[in-house]
Amino acid sequence: MAIYSAGRRRTIIVLLLTSVLLITLDLRGNAVFNGIRSGFEYAFRPFEIAGEVVARPVSRVWKGVTQVDDLEDEVARLQEIVDRQRQAEIAGDNALIENRELRDLLDIESVANFDLVQASIIGSSPSNFDQRVEISAGSTDGIRVGMPVVNSAGLVGRITQVNPTTAVVMLATDPQYHVPVKVVAEIPAAELIEEPVTTTPSGVPVDELDGSSTTSTTSTTTSTSTSTTTTTTLPDPATFPGSTLPEELTTPVDTTTTSTTTTTTTTLPPVIITRETGVLDGYGGDRLPRVRFIADSPQFGRIEPGDAVLTSGGSESLAPPNIPVGRVANVISNAGTQGLELEVELNADLDRLNFLTVVLYLPPQGSSLN
Amino acid sequence: MLGALLHSSLPRLIPIGMILLALQKTLFVELQPFGVIIQLVLAFAASAGAAGGSERGALAGFVLGILFDLAIGTPLGSSSIAMGLAAWVAGTVQLIRIDATWWISAIFVGLGAAVGETTVPVIRRFTGEEDAFVPEMWTIVPVVAVSSAILSIAFVPLARWSLGLARPEWKVPVDA
Repeated sequence: MAIYSAGRRRTIIVLLLTSVLLITLDLRGNAVFNGIRSGFEYAFRPFEIAGEVVARPVSRVWKGVTQVDDLEDEVARLQEIVDRQRQAEIAGDNALIENRELRDLLDIESVANFDLVQASIIGSSPSNFDQRVEISAGSTDGIRVGMPVVNSAGLVGRITQVNPTTAVVMLATDPQYHVPVKVVAEIPAAELIEEPVTTTPSGVPVDELDGSSTTSTTSTTTSTSTSTTTTTTLPDPATFPGSTLPEELTTPVDTTTTSTTTTTTTTLPPVIITRETGVLDGYGGDRLPRVRFIADSPQFGRIEPGDAVLTSGGSESLAPPNIPVGRVANVISNAGTQGLELEVELNADLDRLNFLTVVLYLPPQGSSLN
Repeated sequence: MLGALLHSSLPRLIPIGMILLALQKTLFVELQPFGVIIQLVLAFAASAGAAGGSERGALAGFVLGILFDLAIGTPLGSSSIAMGLAAWVAGTVQLIRIDATWWISAIFVGLGAAVGETTVPVIRRFTGEEDAFVPEMWTIVPVVAVSSAILSIAFVPLARWSLGLARPEWKVPVDA
């Protein structure tokens, strides 16, 4: 029989057309296909569990062989970071509580306002072109397509597929991932005010006082200096001409004058301003996500590496505002009208995810995303 | 013929496909030589092509692609094209030799896998995905091709069994 008979060609064409038809139907959204996917998930789960059992020891051996040196270096580096962070933790906790109280007071929307679902990662995408992971929570936990996913460091991605007990998370590095963000920066108040103002409690600028006072420039510091001056005064004989000074007056008189000067030097806390908004796009696993559509306008100041990137929220966004995303790593200037592009170093380490939190957030009713 | 093929092959092909898919989703996402996930299912589809010829291979690739799409949530049919094409390319080995040696099969399986893996971003571009082509393609395709060629040593006999094929035998032509 000929290898390329008309009948065989026909079979291949039928398969190709069937594939195209399936793609078209699936992309338009099809309840039957969704049902088949859910059914397949149940059928496939035992195979996956068996695969996990087989994979675990092999994977540990592989990691033991290939990653031990890196892990040792990382442990040392992390220990150093932990020591540094311990110090900041207490202040951070306090600031967090204050922040929450203020947000409640001002009725500002944040992640804390929404219900959260914790889940662990049970699988990764087996494709070289996807940045997706599978988590152990699904529609029965209230998870819906589009909900944002975070971990303790910040934004991780969003839900793209929901099954009854599992869900697929598209990571922020996936080329299909897009989320509106804002770039914010902490500006030291000193840059906004030309000179720090140092005043006495009465509000009198220190400069107008006698120049002998000393001021400190630490943040919100009240310094009280008590100066005790002991002056030994002898009456001027000239004021008592021709007279004999009484004995007590010829004895040196000690006059003690105590003056207390309280000066308050207030250096204002850093002011956080939004420099610019744009859309964060994933660029694949090995490349940093980028923020596009950034106008190169100095109106809010220049964007610089290190500026913080947070979700901007809004009715057209699938994520609530103020979820930390990362920091600006590089600022790329494009020619023409394309404006700036920012490379963003994500806070969350997407290569080492274990537990994730799904924010049960859906955009406001009436949004075009609903 | 299509019906007969499906009827005879599916009971073996689907369980094997699911086992390979489970291994790819668990074990091979951890073991990534040069940062590339070895494509077990694609290698098996190409091996099916090398074992059973372009037509049977394309059919097996279609079925395996559907399983792959169902498991990872990509548009149903998109991986079928890639795997079907991989199997079709690998199946051209039978144009050269009916009973190819293991290393000739391995070369064609590698070629088929390379074509299949290259097709994936092309299909995704057609389905509307932006930036489907990643710069790491230059690493991904060779690693997938070489790993598939190596795996074909085991996968070609497995594919032959799952497709219900007997090993062809040379027959001395007899004059009429």
